[in-house]
Amino acid sequence: MSLIVEHLRILGPDGVLVHPASFALRPGEPLVLLGETGSGKSLLAQAIMGVLPPGLRAEGRIVLDGQDILKLAARERRALWGRDVAMLPQEPWAALDPSMRAAAQVEEVDRLVHRQTPSVAASRTAARLSRLGLGGAARRFPFQLSGGMSQRVALAATQAAGARMLIADEPTKGLDAALRDTAGALLRAEAEAGRMLLVITHDVTLARLLGGQAIVMLAGQVVESGALPTLLDAPRHDYTQKLVAAEPERWAAWPRRQPGRTVAAGQGLRKQLGGRELFDGLDLEVAESDVVAIAGPSGCGKTTLGDVLLGMTLPDSGIVRRAEWAGPLGLQKLYQDPLAAFAPHQTLGAGIAELCRRHGLAPSATHALLPRLRLDAGLLHRRPTEVSGGELQRFSLLRTLLLRPALLFADEATSRLDPLTQAEVMQLLLETVQEYGTALLVVTHDAALANKVAGQVVTLPPRNPRIRLDKTASVFRV
Amino acid sequence: MSRKRLLGGALLAAVIAFALLGPLHGADPLRQNLSDTLLPPGGAYPLGTDHLGRDLLARLAAGARLSFGFALLAALAAAVPGILLGLVAALRGGVLERLLLGLADAVQALPGLLLVVLFTAFAPGEFLPLYLGLALSLWVEFFRIARNGAAAVMARPQVQAARLLGFGAGHILRRHLWPEVAPLAATLFAFAAGTAVTTIAALAFIGVGARPPVPEWGSMMTELLPYYAEAPLALLLPAILIFTTVLGLHLLAGRERA
Repeated sequence: MSLIVEHLRILGPDGVLVHPASFALRPGEPLVLLGETGSGKSLLAQAIMGVLPPGLRAEGRIVLDGQDILKLAARERRALWGRDVAMLPQEPWAALDPSMRAAAQVEEVDRLVHRQTPSVAASRTAARLSRLGLGGAARRFPFQLSGGMSQRVALAATQAAGARMLIADEPTKGLDAALRDTAGALLRAEAEAGRMLLVITHDVTLARLLGGQAIVMLAGQVVESGALPTLLDAPRHDYTQKLVAAEPERWAAWPRRQPGRTVAAGQGLRKQLGGRELFDGLDLEVAESDVVAIAGPSGCGKTTLGDVLLGMTLPDSGIVRRAEWAGPLGLQKLYQDPLAAFAPHQTLGAGIAELCRRHGLAPSATHALLPRLRLDAGLLHRRPTEVSGGELQRFSLLRTLLLRPALLFADEATSRLDPLTQAEVMQLLLETVQEYGTALLVVTHDAALANKVAGQVVTLPPRNPRIRLDKTASVFRV
Repeated sequence: MSRKRLLGGALLAAVIAFALLGPLHGADPLRQNLSDTLLPPGGAYPLGTDHLGRDLLARLAAGARLSFGFALLAALAAAVPGILLGLVAALRGGVLERLLLGLADAVQALPGLLLVVLFTAFAPGEFLPLYLGLALSLWVEFFRIARNGAAAVMARPQVQAARLLGFGAGHILRRHLWPEVAPLAATLFAFAAGTAVTTIAALAFIGVGARPPVPEWGSMMTELLPYYAEAPLALLLPAILIFTTVLGLHLLAGRERA
């Protein structure tokens, strides 16, 4: 059992998107495709599955157990799905059927793909789910599952199909550090159980967790390949070196500066959400030139705490004081998903011009900031969807900097970006702090990042999932 | 633009061209000629005559102008307040939003046609109560899509970001809420216009809307109903026009599937 890819290249209407790549996949040894968004790694996986976007075509050979599947007709390719090759989609919570309970989605595979009777399918599914630690979640709907749980349900469905080869596309996207480790261990277990595993990721930490072989891709080209972890410990190619250096663990700690006046301070803050306490008796103070990080796992109330400090949410008890000199526009925020923070129908330039008019700012201020944020003026004519995530996050920084904020709240501002882009945006935030003496409040699930950048790290305890899920379940029963 | 929409646009364009070019024929839609009753198409009467010898082409074209004008005004009278109230409800929230939602539920509990008939009872044969009744039953749909579309945007970071950047309610309405609601509102507008066309015809047909001798499609069908054996085409033509207009509007409104 093996998959051999020979000189696979992918062509688009404007030329070559992925230059010839060759690799082999064997049972028990994961293969990790590392690279940033747009490097072509997802295209390779789509070519193997036979689901390339319209207008693109693949050339070369993809040999699965001695048969060149690239030559097969579309219908024959589809017949391989589930039984021979399976794909664990990006953001599996979006790939589950929202109207079906978890167990039913897995049972369906046994019933429809393997023609089992409902009772056999049900008992097999129950065993599968409990092996993955999902025994209690069988009757839940996808909206009642956490991100990690949804992923395990999707994994159970691919296990049920019995595919010998599993492709996982960005399996840790949107997961915090603890869940990332779990996902890594689960995938590794799949490989150890004798399945062929191909993982596509930009997450160097995940690559280390998985082990096996790795291929590093840059702009549609394989630049380096080799065994893990050697490849990451002694990277040869310039790009791989940068990729490894972009891991927050390897960053240089930010220099500390003497904090100035206090911009915002909270005392004895308490907040409940959905009947559960997020924090109580919490004191937090952010001063000029000061970097404070709020860390903790997903859903623990980090963003809520930041919003309380900015005055966008009221605490249940406690007081928040904001410096009067900071002014009404002195506290600004950068969002996790920059795309959701812009009006989608307006070009970036038009939005910024509107901001300048609103506050009587000189348009030249924008053009002075563009080069400092390493943004091209031509991007001003584009809409938010037409620039990359990193560029858009820099535009959010730009529009807040126009207002000379006293405090900047970066709410997971880099968690959806590639490691290199993340390092770049964080570097720009550091420059902002150093140059303007801005107070920086960083919310992150990445403890390593928090420790490198902040003088003070507030860690919130994890939210007990049982309380939350029982609550949703009872709401649902009513 | 999908094929369906092109077809819808073409159908509507044909009816509009008919409405505008009909008068060029020069006949008066109200002039009777009792020696030329129920004539088949041909000669001086391209589409024939009705039971009072009136020119059918002139009457149908006049009916088209009337139906279109009515449909546009009625849809507009429902869309403007409906959308404005929906946007304000989403933007302000709280008691105002709950009140408006309750009101919308209450109005929707009444069958739309009943509301219109209720209004026409005050002034039979007049057009104003028809507008009022239709606007009152149709605004709910506009209110709902505007409020729901806008409420979804209000929950997004883009609105919070705009507020932090110092923008006011006007900016949020214009830049964030309206662009989201506009395509849905345009679709609904076409459906509402179609509903208006069938409603005015249905009411005239049962004798509570436009009354003879007004050249209204529904009213024409009522008048010609006793003569369907002698002049089936005369009865069929207004029905075809109503069907074509509403079909055109609905095809035009159909949203392209992603």
